[in-house]
Amino acid sequence: MVMTSEQRVGATEIAAKGRSPWADARRRFFRNKAALMGLVILGFVVAFALFGNSLAQWSNEELDYNVMGQIVELGGPSIESGHYFGTDDLGRDLYARTVQGTQISLAVGLVGALIACVVGTLYGAVAGYFGGRTDSIMMRLVDIFMAVPYMFVLILLLVMYGRSITILFAGVGLISWMEMARIVRGQTLTIKGREFVEAARATGVSAPVIILRHIVPNLLGVIAVYATLLVPLMILTESFISFLGLGVQEPLTSLGALISEGAGTIAYGTTWQLGFPLLFFCLTLFGLFFIGDGLRDALDPKDR
Amino acid sequence: MLSYILKRLAIAIPTLLLLIVISFLLMHSAPGGPFTSERELPPQVLANLNAKYGLDDPLWKQITTYVWGIVTEFDFGPSFVYKDRSVNEIIAQGFPITLTYGLLSFAVAVIVGVSLGVAAAVRHNSALDYAAVGVSIGAQVLPNFVMAPILVLVFTLWLGWLPGGGWQGPEYWIMPVIALSTSFMASIARITRSSMLEVLTSNHIRTARAKGLPERRVILRHALKPAMLPVISYLGPAFVAMITGSVVVDIYFSTGGIGKAFVDSALNRDYAVMMGVTILVGALTIFFNLVVDILYGWIDPKIRY
Repeated sequence: MVMTSEQRVGATEIAAKGRSPWADARRRFFRNKAALMGLVILGFVVAFALFGNSLAQWSNEELDYNVMGQIVELGGPSIESGHYFGTDDLGRDLYARTVQGTQISLAVGLVGALIACVVGTLYGAVAGYFGGRTDSIMMRLVDIFMAVPYMFVLILLLVMYGRSITILFAGVGLISWMEMARIVRGQTLTIKGREFVEAARATGVSAPVIILRHIVPNLLGVIAVYATLLVPLMILTESFISFLGLGVQEPLTSLGALISEGAGTIAYGTTWQLGFPLLFFCLTLFGLFFIGDGLRDALDPKDR
Repeated sequence: MLSYILKRLAIAIPTLLLLIVISFLLMHSAPGGPFTSERELPPQVLANLNAKYGLDDPLWKQITTYVWGIVTEFDFGPSFVYKDRSVNEIIAQGFPITLTYGLLSFAVAVIVGVSLGVAAAVRHNSALDYAAVGVSIGAQVLPNFVMAPILVLVFTLWLGWLPGGGWQGPEYWIMPVIALSTSFMASIARITRSSMLEVLTSNHIRTARAKGLPERRVILRHALKPAMLPVISYLGPAFVAMITGSVVVDIYFSTGGIGKAFVDSALNRDYAVMMGVTILVGALTIFFNLVVDILYGWIDPKIRY
């Protein structure tokens, strides 16, 4: 990445102090025990999602005819049968299904947060950089968007356009960029008055290039913090919709869909169907929240 | 103050109109009309149906009729699936139920959350403080759709204390309210605690203590009001999230509120009911945000009108 003039100025100042702001942030982050714990938990969940299948003795689609019809008696978690987490009510291996659900949930979180970040950052940076009437119209629009009950609109969209996973992935991101846009706009307002932006403008650099090359790189800290905090929110949104049966459709599954299945069958005594997906759901959120909080403490200039 | 309220209203009303128009256009652009089914309808029948529901009018006329119906008579039109019922009837059936447990959950979340937060801040670094922080971190990962099955598992299936679903009396309210309020209670407690800690170190509190006021009075009269500002600004988003959460409660506890009507209509593709519920929820949200803004302006003397 090309160094912006501000970073260069920063670098000389730091040479005197002997550490860069990023190294500083890293040190603060690693001293934070909760954040480290979050990192370990998330590492475990990600490893489970990526490599969990290699331990599975059943695929996520196979039906185990031995336990079919007697799930309550035979479908429980056991090492001998190879169903570490038991089976679901159709006799599918819950371990393999949980691996799959974790993969989908993490993917929704990442893709959703990425979309929200890109849209929010560009929107906020444009509004902040141009200022004036453009800014007030754009931010008034954000105000209006924020009053819309998004979950309902997203469900409306999913129903109309056939509950496709693409719409779900894009939708959860597209309903959450407004907060990001506000934060980025606020930061842009302070950055655009700095000398290096003025210098760029004076040498005739075009507005889109100034925004992308000089303003956005200086916002990376803030963006990183809010992106990490967005991921769990995306996972929550997707799980909510899948819990209602309107999100991810069979044969795909997500943690929300698995929790929904488990919640529907607890009356028959198959508690494991709720327990294992729920455990991974909570672990994922825990890890992400702790990391997000840790990053905020480490990077947010307000708290220094 | 009046001009502040008027300014807020000037934003709220166009927002609402825009919401109605957008959801109408969404519905209009949906692939397949409301009468698309596996059984192909004869063209004359389809034409008659379209004429009955006004779907053969030009788009602008449909929009104005729809908006006009809502604004003047609060009429959301007929349901597309249930021939003999209007959207109003379907919503009116569920709305009081949603309102009952919704308001209860909101009250529980605010009262318990604020008390917990204040108690934790006042006894900073005590066992109570750590317990409150622990509870609020734990409850963060317990949204309504996680709480609901856990509550049913524990209180209905294991202990047998509470009915697992239905809506017949106060004992049916308990689990929906707990499921809906837990995560918000936790957030409110966390926000209250940190803002209270900040306020307690400020100068006016030191002054209040220095002039010998009893600690109770310092906390309740001098610290609580400024500490409530961040909590109040959280109430808007919390309200939206609670209405959204009511959908899960309605489905899981069979309480029969508007969330049930929404999901049923989503599964039936009854766009008229879906739009009706979306607009109603949007209107409630806008109204609530207005109330929060006014409350905020009233509590914080520094706010510029």
